Amino acid sequence: MVFSSVGFLFRFLPIFMIIYLAFPKYRNLILLAGSLIFYGVGEPYFVLLLLLSVLINYGLSRYMFWEPRSPQSNRKLKSARRRKRALVFAAVFDLGILFVFKYWDFAVSNINGIVGQGILPLLSLALPLGISFYTFQMLSYQVDCYRGTIKDKAGFLPFATYVCMFPQLIAGPIVRYGEVAKRMKDRKVRIRDIENGLKLFTVGLGLKVILANQIGTLWNLIMTAGAGSLHVLVAWLGAFAYSCQIYFDFWGYSVMAMGLGKMLGFSIPRNFDTPYASRSVSEFWRRWHITLGSWFREYVYIPLGGSRRGSGRTVFNLLVVWALTGLWHGADWNFVLWGTVFFLLISLEKRTFGKWLENSRVLGHIYVVLLIPATWVIFAITDMGQLAGYLGNLVGYHKEEILVGVTQLVRYLKEYGALLIACVIFATPLPAKLYWKWKDRWFMVLLLLLIFWWSVREILQGSNNPFLYFRF
Amino acid sequence: MNRNKMKTFLEIIYNCPFLLLLIASGFLFALFFDETGVFNIDKSIAAFRMQNEVETAAIKEENTQNFDGEAFAEELHSDNGTEEETENSQHKTGHEVENAGIRKKNGDHKEEEIKQKIDIAKLGIEKNREKEENRATKFEEYTPISIDSRYYSDAGKIALTTAYDYVLENESYFNDAVFLGDSRTLGISDYAGLDGADFFCDNGMTIFKLLEDKGVTYQKTGKKMDLKEVLQEKSYGKVYIMLGMNELGYGNTAMYMKQYLKVVSQIREWQPDAVIYIMANLHVSREKNNMETEFNNININDKNVASARLANGRDIFYLDCNPLFTDEEGYLQEELTFDGVHLYAQNYEKWRNFLFEHGVEKKSQEQNADVNAEARSGQKEAAHGADETE
Repeated sequence: MVFSSVGFLFRFLPIFMIIYLAFPKYRNLILLAGSLIFYGVGEPYFVLLLLLSVLINYGLSRYMFWEPRSPQSNRKLKSARRRKRALVFAAVFDLGILFVFKYWDFAVSNINGIVGQGILPLLSLALPLGISFYTFQMLSYQVDCYRGTIKDKAGFLPFATYVCMFPQLIAGPIVRYGEVAKRMKDRKVRIRDIENGLKLFTVGLGLKVILANQIGTLWNLIMTAGAGSLHVLVAWLGAFAYSCQIYFDFWGYSVMAMGLGKMLGFSIPRNFDTPYASRSVSEFWRRWHITLGSWFREYVYIPLGGSRRGSGRTVFNLLVVWALTGLWHGADWNFVLWGTVFFLLISLEKRTFGKWLENSRVLGHIYVVLLIPATWVIFAITDMGQLAGYLGNLVGYHKEEILVGVTQLVRYLKEYGALLIACVIFATPLPAKLYWKWKDRWFMVLLLLLIFWWSVREILQGSNNPFLYFRF
Repeated sequence: MNRNKMKTFLEIIYNCPFLLLLIASGFLFALFFDETGVFNIDKSIAAFRMQNEVETAAIKEENTQNFDGEAFAEELHSDNGTEEETENSQHKTGHEVENAGIRKKNGDHKEEEIKQKIDIAKLGIEKNREKEENRATKFEEYTPISIDSRYYSDAGKIALTTAYDYVLENESYFNDAVFLGDSRTLGISDYAGLDGADFFCDNGMTIFKLLEDKGVTYQKTGKKMDLKEVLQEKSYGKVYIMLGMNELGYGNTAMYMKQYLKVVSQIREWQPDAVIYIMANLHVSREKNNMETEFNNININDKNVASARLANGRDIFYLDCNPLFTDEEGYLQEELTFDGVHLYAQNYEKWRNFLFEHGVEKKSQEQNADVNAEARSGQKEAAHGADETE
């Protein structure tokens, strides 16, 4: 189930909220059960995999804290060894499952390609929804337990609820247990929280349904015509459209998660801080998908030594982080390339012009606004030949005849001009500022009401007639 | 006590206007605007049932009456083929506007006429069975699979391009051509480089919407137009129609065919001299092909076979472009498409060449008509003469 669906908005959410508020004593249980239903509706089999993962991870975390009765002298040593063993086992198990479902086919097809024959079989498994997110969340829990940052171990119910709770199960943010530990034990939901959470949720819904979905059709239109035969300006328009789509889609989803979290009595960390208003790529990544960036920093970059072990080691550490970040987003070579590009850009910025860019007033913005859309093109196009064609078009190089030229550009601009302007405005910090300033004023309430029903209308148009969404 | 309660009540209202307004507007929506049955489950079931009944009725009609379009198309053609009509149409150029006016007035009458024609067509089933062998459009048969859907069935055959002595043409052939269709036709408009032709097409266009008022966009101006008026006022030499993708999950194939017939016969009336091309709907890729929904090549083929039955090999032709772009199993080749449905811009050139290769020369057609007329009157010598000139 996704947030922007009729089933969630009008069936699941109201019914769940009423039950959740009616029985304050069993909030974790209700939230866990609700989340499993939420997940199970769309993934009736993988919900079992999720439960299995939760059970095994919980068992391992208990094993880490287990204190056997033994002579005092041995206890410390043994407990350290045991904790290490449990952590390694958890990492192997979690990453193993992730590997099998997400990376097996990619790895095997490359191995087979190198060897020249099919020595390993392809599995063609469907990817369980949200597996990248909940795996990382469980891993962070295990590491935090190992490090001792989580002092009082969670019971099964709080742990399972923490991993499965529906606001962040499918698409993050990646929450760390420490951030919600207190609320897991005891949380109050005031009427104000529901009001504010609902408002925030509506904002996210609008970003997703009204901005992201609509601008996404422009990107599809351009890609349907075909990468490789695009006029330079059309290619850039496409890159901007995709940048807007991915941002408002993901930001919208994260805001909806924050809103739902608030309604449930949690405070879920924010995932985006107007990243397109950054002045360097490093800054962009500090403001884009913040929880993923901090996960890699906390659990990969710093344990490897961060930037404190000499410049050679720093570069290596960055390479590891960005190769992994690339692969985390998808199992294909374009994602590896995408990660590598960020590795190069960020290493360069770190050593040379990063500080200078961040202090510049205009140049940094231009740099980000031009570079980031180009990187999203690498992210979006999996086929290497097409990717090369599109990147060529971006710099005005054409192998083929230009088929999508100025005529189409004018039509696209006519059709999408207003939407593009709206996207640009919403990429700046201004709307968020105004929202927090005016969120309790009556006109904001009416505006949000309008946004909500407008979004519902858009959703209905896509699902009412089962074939309307094809739009050939 | 009471006062306290009042106070908390007011506090709630003051604290959560959005929540309350949302719930209130939700009730309003459920009561008055909920056409799709988001809240009202009974209503949505009822709506579903109604649609179901309409469509099963249509299927029944299809089964009992075995409605055949070719008979009707031929009926149409023989009507137009009479000498009076051709004379009329020759004079027409001068009186186009007047004629259009008269036609408009006669609109209702014409509709009745069409109904009658449909009845005649139904009676002609037997006659047509005999003709099966001599059809202009050949079908390649295969063993159909059983489909449990109210939208379509497996046709059990593939329609081939109407057999005819086509002539290789160039771009000037399309100067008096008009294309009617959905997003795929939009692709031809954008990327095939047929600048002389008129294009009336939109994303999501269906055969049901085509003739609606302000129903379709004229690509040269980007404005919505009444196709009815356009086709009555301007005379075209060729009419290309390609519709059927957005109908895959709307109604069923019988309804689609009926409507296609209606549209083609309307166009025949408005454009008595035009060559009508019925173009096959391009199949989709293997990835996009989904047997669990109605969105698959068997359904597309079902629609194609239905529309191909209207072709008569004289002035209505069926063109199957699928062999150009599909693999041996009939799936659209993955490397030609981004979304599994639409071709990349660069592939439209191939399509254009295909259209070039399927020119129908008006002259030879008229000559054929002459030959027939003369042969009928028994003047064999003249017929020989005509043969020699060919």
